[in-house]
Amino acid sequence: MVHARPGEHLARLETKADYVAFRSQAQARWKDLWEGDRTVVSVGVGSSSIAKGALQVLDTCHAELGGAAVVREVSGNGAFWMEPWIEIRRPGEPPVVYGPLQASDVASVFNGDRDDLAIGVRNSEPLGTIPSLNDHPFFKDQMQIISRNAGVIEPDSIEDAIARGAYDGYFKVLFEMSAEEAIAEVTAANVRGRGGGGFPAGIKWESGRKARVTPKFIVCNSHEGEPNVYKDRHLHECDPHRILEGILIACVVCGAERGYNYIGGEYPLAIRRFRKAVADAERIGLIGNDILGTGHNVAFRVRTGGGAYICGEASAMMFSVMGVRGQPRTKPPRSVEEGLWKRPTVANNTETLANIPDIIVNGGEWYAGLGTEGSKGTKLMTVQGPLARHGVVEVEMGMTLRKLFDDIYGGMAEGRTFKGVQTGGVSAGPLKDEHLDIPVDFDSLGDVGGMLGSGGWVIFDETVNVVDFARYLTAFNRYESCSKCVPCRLGNPALVEILDRIRFGRGSMDDLTLIQRTSKHIIELSLCGLGQVAPVPLIGMIEQFPEDFEHAVKYGTMTAPEAALAAD
Amino acid sequence: MAHAESAHVVLPVPAPFTGRQDVDPEVVRELLSHFTFDDYEEAQELILSALQEVNEHFGWVSPGAAQIVAEHLNTTINRVFGLLTFYADFRTDPRGHHHMLVCHGMACYVMGSQALVQELQDTFHIDDGETTADEQVSIQVVNGCLGVCDRAPVVKLDDDYFGPVTPRELTSLLHRAVEGHRMMQEKGVSNGPRPTG
Repeated sequence: MVHARPGEHLARLETKADYVAFRSQAQARWKDLWEGDRTVVSVGVGSSSIAKGALQVLDTCHAELGGAAVVREVSGNGAFWMEPWIEIRRPGEPPVVYGPLQASDVASVFNGDRDDLAIGVRNSEPLGTIPSLNDHPFFKDQMQIISRNAGVIEPDSIEDAIARGAYDGYFKVLFEMSAEEAIAEVTAANVRGRGGGGFPAGIKWESGRKARVTPKFIVCNSHEGEPNVYKDRHLHECDPHRILEGILIACVVCGAERGYNYIGGEYPLAIRRFRKAVADAERIGLIGNDILGTGHNVAFRVRTGGGAYICGEASAMMFSVMGVRGQPRTKPPRSVEEGLWKRPTVANNTETLANIPDIIVNGGEWYAGLGTEGSKGTKLMTVQGPLARHGVVEVEMGMTLRKLFDDIYGGMAEGRTFKGVQTGGVSAGPLKDEHLDIPVDFDSLGDVGGMLGSGGWVIFDETVNVVDFARYLTAFNRYESCSKCVPCRLGNPALVEILDRIRFGRGSMDDLTLIQRTSKHIIELSLCGLGQVAPVPLIGMIEQFPEDFEHAVKYGTMTAPEAALAAD
Repeated sequence: MAHAESAHVVLPVPAPFTGRQDVDPEVVRELLSHFTFDDYEEAQELILSALQEVNEHFGWVSPGAAQIVAEHLNTTINRVFGLLTFYADFRTDPRGHHHMLVCHGMACYVMGSQALVQELQDTFHIDDGETTADEQVSIQVVNGCLGVCDRAPVVKLDDDYFGPVTPRELTSLLHRAVEGHRMMQEKGVSNGPRPTG
């Protein structure tokens, strides 16, 4: 059994039959891996586990177990609290996950001496005293659809991905389905943009397809600059082929000749794994000219950003792809009419495109059965702050925040009390305890000043002063403003100045009115989404915690030595 | 075993820490040699990636390197500097001997990263993007996220992550790094690439 690093051995597949043969080969290889007589050791390697020593664990596994077992480098599975972890599948037994461990533990875990480190069995049935991983509270209430390959496949192996169903949707679109039918499925699924906007993808695709100027482009927006969201990075690290497949389906359906993926430059591992996926797909001929003999031509380019939050905005992102400063422009024309290089361009978020393969395979009806009335499907969520557990999870739309925080993330950490949760990254206000029973979807949080956004939640406790926190959020927007519109460029620094005045204990109640007035100007007079929501977190903070702001106006928020320093 | 040897080739080994060094134009040209393009549009699309590669290799983009990038991709130095000053990842000043990233994402903020930034200002008199006068330490405050939120607040010193870190620990961490470097210099050990891993 050869488990060489995949790549060079891949040959171009010319026809449909070639691909079907390749797929059954990959499936046989996968079956042999899990049902054969070799021990399989998988190490979860993602950017979060690398920081905790996963590479050393992987090296140790290669050095010490290389002869006795098949060692695989899989991705993290979203559960940061158990990293670094390894999964050992002994012949005749289901795979058992152990963690958190260090390189020195590898040998004893492998020999079966450290069952105290066992977290669970990746199987529905428990193994002896080790419970099933699915029964762990962190996994029990998740619904893993787009992240179901996380920690299971080797992200660098196209064969693993294909054995687990990758490119089935692409195959269907190439051979069994017309473009109209595919768009009808996406429209029926009513999948809405996952980047925060919530615009239905089906409508976007329809207008992309109808655009008559050629060439057309598809751009996948994988730039998440928000200071608390890393769902797209997680997706790139664990299942790059799913994202690539979504983009390729969009290319074929909309008749685009080139697909782009724009990835934030601060994610080296995600970029490396995605580039590898593209190279492999090119090798076997899923990208290129005359794909599998169908006559479809699709080219692909990976582009990286340079760390600017504004590049999450679609028109700014396209400017950044074109190698200029990422500053949004006025609309119309919309990007489906005039986007990249003034050609029709369909831009979708990574998570949206990652949902497409399953919609094509299982049908829009199936997808529309998940989630709530207005928001279908699942959502990747990241919750941070003083919690018992951390990680990336995928849950069905409509779960209440309380269930998410208390059950999946295990509630507040020892000795911490919940004060509030900041929603929607830096684009919405905070929520308090009384709002936690609202089911989470695109629409329901708006009434109380919150927002689903891209699914990032930051919980804060009594140690955080909300006035300082509001200043932090405003300062973030000040820093990230692209400086195109005057209200945003000058208004945000003005807000920070006013807040500093209050924090230094020199504020007055008039300052709170001044904040409202300045904010109104920024919101109404800015061009893009960043400016229009920049003051919203601050206003939300004032609304939810007025007594804290009144206290700050009277006494400031700084301790005596800090205030003395600031007075210099 | 071929397999074990290949493990490092495919893993993201961080660029060896090189400290302050002059930018060799030949190395820049070598780095850029794989950026090939068919037309003007594609050349423009490659500018950011090329700058990123230079920035990663040297820790900064020197005026000379920027000029080479501009010439290689048929654009102007003005355009390249426009990009260097717009995007947060690029540095136009050399790094110190030690480079520290302080995560200042929201998760680290609510766990106390503001105190770390304050500590750096008070004790080492450096702010975001600055280098200490003795060129020992440069810091970069990361507004995005290092993605290790369960260890918040997190700092990354050279290639190693530390967290959760208190201001006092941060100070001793930096003093240790600086002291270690000074001892190496006194012994006559040059500031060559450090072994990684």
